[in-house]
Amino acid sequence: MNLVFALAAAALFGVGAFLVLHRDLVRLVLGVVVISQSAVLTLLAASLERGAAPIYPLPEGGVSDPLSQAMALTAIVIGMAVTALLLVLVLRVAVAFHSEELEEVAETELALDARSEEVHARAHADEDAAAG
Amino acid sequence: MTALSVALLIPWVVGVALLVMDGRRRSIRWIAVGALGATLVALGAVAADVLRAGPIVVTTGNWPLGVGITLRADALGVTFALLSVAMLTAAVTHEAFDHIAEREFPGLVLLLAAGLIGTFLTGDIFNFYVFFELALAASYVLAIYGRTPRVLGAGLVFTAVNLLGTFVFLLSVASIYRVTGTLDMSRIADRMAVADPNAAILIAVGFFVAFSVKLGLFPFHFWLPTVYAAARPAVAAILSGSLANIGAYGLLRFGAGLLPRELELAGGALIVIGVASIVYGGVLAVSRRTGTEMLAYSAIGQVGYVLVAIGVGGPVAFAAAILYTVVNAANKTMLFLTTQQRGALVGGLFAVGALSIAGVPPAVGFIGKLEVFRAVMGQPALLLIVVLGSLLSFVYAFQIYQFEHWRPEPPTARSGEGWWRARIVPISLGGLILALGVWPEPLLALSAAAAGALTGVAR
Repeated sequence: MNLVFALAAAALFGVGAFLVLHRDLVRLVLGVVVISQSAVLTLLAASLERGAAPIYPLPEGGVSDPLSQAMALTAIVIGMAVTALLLVLVLRVAVAFHSEELEEVAETELALDARSEEVHARAHADEDAAAG
Repeated sequence: MTALSVALLIPWVVGVALLVMDGRRRSIRWIAVGALGATLVALGAVAADVLRAGPIVVTTGNWPLGVGITLRADALGVTFALLSVAMLTAAVTHEAFDHIAEREFPGLVLLLAAGLIGTFLTGDIFNFYVFFELALAASYVLAIYGRTPRVLGAGLVFTAVNLLGTFVFLLSVASIYRVTGTLDMSRIADRMAVADPNAAILIAVGFFVAFSVKLGLFPFHFWLPTVYAAARPAVAAILSGSLANIGAYGLLRFGAGLLPRELELAGGALIVIGVASIVYGGVLAVSRRTGTEMLAYSAIGQVGYVLVAIGVGGPVAFAAAILYTVVNAANKTMLFLTTQQRGALVGGLFAVGALSIAGVPPAVGFIGKLEVFRAVMGQPALLLIVVLGSLLSFVYAFQIYQFEHWRPEPPTARSGEGWWRARIVPISLGGLILALGVWPEPLLALSAAAAGALTGVAR
């Protein structure tokens, strides 16, 4: 059972990492979501014992570890909140750069940087002339 | 005990309340500054208690000890909480004197303060994760403060990279629970000592990656220059002076406190990474022509000293790492706040900050460097690297001084009463840097006590 959990979490992490490395911003968000699910699955897999649902009245035999389930639940909620935040950010970036491709965003940024560099160089031209 | 709860509750409650109000109004900004001031006072009371009578432990919700989540204030946590909230207060006061561009800024800063205090004053690693995420969520929104395209692009990088870092942290938390069966820090420290070494090393690597991303150490630094250079001065000051402290604290608490055996094992590797950070940050900072970019790369170099000290290990080196974090946070906060100001006075402040980065007396950076020197005394090669790093910092800091401050002041800069209000906070921070450099005993005693708390837990 541990092996299954480990393989599933590793596969999720791998898929997520693959998506994060894509140039499309929405895929980046999906990748982060899948990686967060890998962490949640690991939290569940880290439970110390497995058995029936830990709800009163307690059933015969062992119950599963409630603490790891509580942690997983907390992690899911936090993950959902930050995913929403990340999606809003992607929306803002897509609106600001008129694109959701990372490459185009980077190109626009490079153009902005080059322009500010030019302004800066002009401001320092007198000093460079004096030094040279 | 009550002071601890108050210190956590004030920024939390006031922060949530301020989020729904318009933070651009004058009254709201000063409520935020006042709440942070009150938090500082409460933290000061906690610190006085802790330094006099030892760690304070509060179990939330009246659960029996060992079941409920514990808040635990020891000298290390209190030092970092005081430092971070003080730097946050400085940055938000500076912004309040100037003008606040976004309505949610004051509320977010308070929530960031709540997250930071919770992170530093918890005794439970899952609780640490929750507060860590609270602080980070607030900082993700703070990072896009200003909403220009450049800031938005940088904010996306910052958010994505730090989210991945926190999930790696969460994976390590899950593993540590599996191995030790507890989330309580003091019991983890006991049980990890007898845990399977292979699992322990994997867990330690996960924590190291998570906190290195936060701190911006050399192989994990790629997001940092973009974000720090694009952000507004106050936000850059908050990110480098307050939020980055989580990284140093995490490395100290999880490395030296919970996994001392693994830290000792990895000491050599940490020193190599720290040296790489010092050299890489220094060399790239020399190549920069604008103040903000120089400061961003300098931040990468400066945390290298902290990592070298942690890698060396032992009470003296841990005290040096803590002291250096304090010094670096003060330097970076002051320098980032002044990046868009000019004039003779600001030039003087920049020179004070530059001397502090390079480690020249009478600035407090000298004390920081001196303690790092003491920590690496036995190893001549390391001593040489630290000297080389200081020389590089001297070159890059004064190169920017020449580029940006040896030029005529723009004619509009000296008009109106806004002149003093925009400079009062940097002046105070510069005074603090000089004062602590002249009279460093309290700072030395505090960092020694914090390191003592750490090595006490380890045993």
